Amino acid sequence: MSIVANDLADMATRAESEIAAAADEAALDALRVRYVGRREGEITKALKTLPSLPAAERPAFGAAANAARERIESALERRGGELRASALERDIAGAAADLTLPPRRVRVGRYHPISRTIREITRIFAGMGFEAVEGPEVEWDYYNFEALNIPPGHPARDKFSTLWVNAEGSMEVALAATGTGGRAVAEPSRRQPMLLRTHTSPMQIRVMEQRRPPVRVVVPGRCYRFEATDATHESVFFQYEGLAIDEQLSMADLKGVLYSFARQIFGSERKVRFRPDYFPFTEPSAEIAFDCFVCDGSGTTNAGRCATCGGSGWIEAAGCGMVHPEALRRVGYDPSQVQGFAFGGGVERLAMLLTGTPDIRLFHQNDLRYLESV
Amino acid sequence: MPSLKVPVSWLRDYVDVSVSSDEIAERLHMAGMEVDHVERTWDWDKIWVARITALERHPNADKLLLATVDYGDGRTRQVVTGAPNLAVGAIVPYAEVGAAYKDAHNDGTMAVLEPKKMRGIMSEGMVMSALELGIGPDHEGILLLDPQAPVGARLRDVLGETVIQFEIAPNRPDALSLTGIAREAAAILGTPYRAPAMEPLPHRLDPSLLVVRIEDDDACPRFTAAYLTGVRMGTSPAWMQQRLIAAGMRPISNVVDITNYVMLEIGQPLHAYDAERLRGRALVARLARAGEAVRTLDGVDRILRASDLVIADEERVLGLAGIMGGEDSEIREGTTEVALEAASFEPRRTRRTTDAHGLGGSGGSAAARRFALDLSPELPPLGLARAVHLLRELAGATVVGAVDVYPRPRQVPNVKLRFSDIGRVLGAEVGRDEAVDALRRLGFAYAELGDQLVVTPPAIRTDIGIPEDIVEEVARIVGYDTIPTRLPTGVLPLHERHPLERMRERVRDALVGFGLQETISYALIDEAWLRRLTPDGSPLAPEPLRVTNPTSAQQEIVRPTLRASLLDTASRNMKHRKGLAIFEIDPVYLPRPGDLPEERWTVGVVLCGLAEPVREGETWLTPERVFEVSDLQGVIDGLHRATRSGRGTPEVGAPGLHPGRSWRLVDGARDAVVAGQLDPRVAEMWELPPATFVAEVDLALLLASVRPNAALTPPRYPAAWRDLAFVVDDATAWRDVETDIRAAGAKGGLEDVALRDLYRGAQVPAGKKSFAVRLTFRSPAGTLSDADVDRAVAKIEARLLHRFGATIRAS
Repeated sequence: MSIVANDLADMATRAESEIAAAADEAALDALRVRYVGRREGEITKALKTLPSLPAAERPAFGAAANAARERIESALERRGGELRASALERDIAGAAADLTLPPRRVRVGRYHPISRTIREITRIFAGMGFEAVEGPEVEWDYYNFEALNIPPGHPARDKFSTLWVNAEGSMEVALAATGTGGRAVAEPSRRQPMLLRTHTSPMQIRVMEQRRPPVRVVVPGRCYRFEATDATHESVFFQYEGLAIDEQLSMADLKGVLYSFARQIFGSERKVRFRPDYFPFTEPSAEIAFDCFVCDGSGTTNAGRCATCGGSGWIEAAGCGMVHPEALRRVGYDPSQVQGFAFGGGVERLAMLLTGTPDIRLFHQNDLRYLESV
Repeated sequence: MPSLKVPVSWLRDYVDVSVSSDEIAERLHMAGMEVDHVERTWDWDKIWVARITALERHPNADKLLLATVDYGDGRTRQVVTGAPNLAVGAIVPYAEVGAAYKDAHNDGTMAVLEPKKMRGIMSEGMVMSALELGIGPDHEGILLLDPQAPVGARLRDVLGETVIQFEIAPNRPDALSLTGIAREAAAILGTPYRAPAMEPLPHRLDPSLLVVRIEDDDACPRFTAAYLTGVRMGTSPAWMQQRLIAAGMRPISNVVDITNYVMLEIGQPLHAYDAERLRGRALVARLARAGEAVRTLDGVDRILRASDLVIADEERVLGLAGIMGGEDSEIREGTTEVALEAASFEPRRTRRTTDAHGLGGSGGSAAARRFALDLSPELPPLGLARAVHLLRELAGATVVGAVDVYPRPRQVPNVKLRFSDIGRVLGAEVGRDEAVDALRRLGFAYAELGDQLVVTPPAIRTDIGIPEDIVEEVARIVGYDTIPTRLPTGVLPLHERHPLERMRERVRDALVGFGLQETISYALIDEAWLRRLTPDGSPLAPEPLRVTNPTSAQQEIVRPTLRASLLDTASRNMKHRKGLAIFEIDPVYLPRPGDLPEERWTVGVVLCGLAEPVREGETWLTPERVFEVSDLQGVIDGLHRATRSGRGTPEVGAPGLHPGRSWRLVDGARDAVVAGQLDPRVAEMWELPPATFVAEVDLALLLASVRPNAALTPPRYPAAWRDLAFVVDDATAWRDVETDIRAAGAKGGLEDVALRDLYRGAQVPAGKKSFAVRLTFRSPAGTLSDADVDRAVAKIEARLLHRFGATIRAS
């Protein structure tokens, strides 16, 4: 090996010891530029002398330069690895964060419990083939009452304390319609009077008017009553209505659908109770209740009388029944060919149970402290 | 629903109740007679039967008395009372200190009796009213007990009773009586029903004693009456008084009590007239004539309407038919001749007259509540015969004649059905024997003709007319719980799609995702709110729909805008917090002539006060920052991006909003979006901070502006970036600059422009501002060279110079 080649080896040795002593990445980068930099590095400078060497020495010199470069680069790589590893170790050994400090918070949006409950209801009924449809809140007397077998003066109107709307003197017409009374009731126009629907049942008629069987719909929506508000009553509230019409539907299907609904919403352990009730637009009519999921139907909890069901052990969920043949005929269905069932329940009732909300008025008060808690 | 209190001991007169009171209540409930609750009056502890032994004035109060009560075994106490109906010797309930009672001065909530000094004198216990005992509404006086009741006995041993309170469906007036419930109980238990004793009535009535006439047989289909002589007015026996009290009525006199007793027992209201006061010896059912008036039993002089049905004699109106009698013909002490009326009245007319004279509701006429229902015309003769029987037994009366005017007897329907209809409707197999047994128990007559069944309901049932009614009757007795459960089979209806509702739910999801809280407010609002939406009170929305009979002025308007509700929600919440971000999705109601209003679904948003930190006061990482208009722009932009919607160019300014910090996006003739900072003067009216931002988005227009989904394949070639800063006039709008940059760079592969900085200050001349942008270039065909990008940037710079006189600061 020539003297020059030996110089290269010495340089590599020197570089190796400098690299091994490099304190940080910056020092290492400076050494990289100094020894193996492409333009001004020692190896490059050495190779630039190559043409001035006797031809016989060139291969040996070239080989020595390459060997030196490899030694330096591998030293650089080694030291680089060491420095990175020790940096990571220092970081790992560094001060721990106080994880008990409050985080950088994100804003969390929430659904209103009513819209959440309506979604849950429509989701469950969709699973049983019921399509969600909606209809007008401001409604004709015809759809809200007459078409549901509740003519003016019918005692069932007492249950539906109605808010009337001023349009075109609809109240006057309402009174006039009542005033004709008795057997002499004039055929009232569908166009008058106007009211705020007292239930979602008018949609039974609207849907049947628009569709031919088979029909399966669920109708969530806002309803209104002339009613003093308290912890369980609101003048503005939400209901869900169901309607199914087909050739072979019976009370057993109605019971099955509501049974399934109750268990999907409150758990598979729920028992369902079915008892006769009265609605002018269904016959036979029924009320469905399920056993209280808080006290398991016993009516009592450790704290005494169960507050959720009022001690009865049952929670009334919906009114229901087979659609009255007169209502079917009115929309042009043939009751000897098709029959069906309808049901209707309160959304707030379910929302109160699902969220543990004690007072129905909280839903419309929109106190964010409440809304953020449910 | 009409309610009925049924004392179980009374019920046992008509049916053997072999099960407990709780069980019969439960079984009646499950068969359709809704039980509201079961009351027990036997829980009275520390309440005794006592005699008043002395009564003297309270020395310090005119209206108070000091009563000495003896409650047996020589125990006496002095109590202070204000009751007007006490006399020495009266037998009354006496409650010791420690007894539980209903506090009449506190809405009847339960209280425990404590010794109390009243006007300086200690009252050791209390004599009780029916209300305080919880057995009736009466609190005008102390409950006077049977004079024979044993002094010193526990009250529960004398008055103890279980009372089932029913809510009877309005189609079942036949069940709104003790015998009605008894018939149901008998059918359920399968035991016989025992009708109460009836007096056989004569079929003749001497017209010189009484003539009965119906002038309008639509309004009064049937009128029966009896003429009784030798009536001895007095008090009714204790057992009758106790039953009336237990059923919620107040004993008055023997004749009145008997009519009330029979009303409760049979379900037929009756009215007793002092026959000697009937002029012309007549009872006439007719419509009132113009100008007629009557003073009713409640002492009110009533001007009658021509549509009011009245009972009159030959000269004057005696009372409102089926609602309330008149003062003048009322039976009174000394009455000996009684004309007793039991009639049928048309329910709708009765209802209207009741309402018109303010006699409806639970405080009104009990008879009117019954006549508002479709009571069977078969009931009057039953009620009459029963009442005559009781009047003979309890008032010494002799019936000398009776009359039944019933010009057009009502036909009882025959309902035809097939046995298979029962299974078809119920989805349950009910055997023939089981079905006819149920009908038999309910008192229905039936004939079987092969598969056909012809059913005739009992005449007093007015709710049966179609096969489904019969199916329900069978099901009630067989038990609804025996109906199986199954899920519907058959063809699933084809679902239509509801794009607007799907859009609404996407928007709801997006806004919740942005961190906004959803609210739902009353759709009925205060009219005053609508005048607080603009600084000068001018309306924002068209003339709204109004509720004719609102529950309160706060809920009179069917809202034509969400803004007022949103501001109210914000305002109430800002009283206890420093910032909020809320939204509501609901319809607004816009009147249309001759039609229902349009219900226009609207998305409303409010950002108000502090935007950050999210948790109030927690500034250790995030300094306080109030919402700015750009936050609201971000929400609307986010909504458009989340739903891939939005079209058109906004106009600056909108009513009720800050003229320079608001915008509206008009689509056709409608506002698709109205948004911006609330006019600070409006904010002040709602006690909201100036940093209040509202937006209203028309959901249907949002849906209409949805763009088709265009899936993007990630680009194959790398992008190149250049930063550029330039100075323009301060008035230059960013949107114009951006539009021109995009136009100029389009051919050169400009993919995106991002605003990095907006600077006004020392580094730029007055009246100028500097935009710094990052430009992203990319070609779909290959990697762009530096030279390509430089050329594109030069073109953009040239355009900025040309259009805006821009000076390039750095590139």
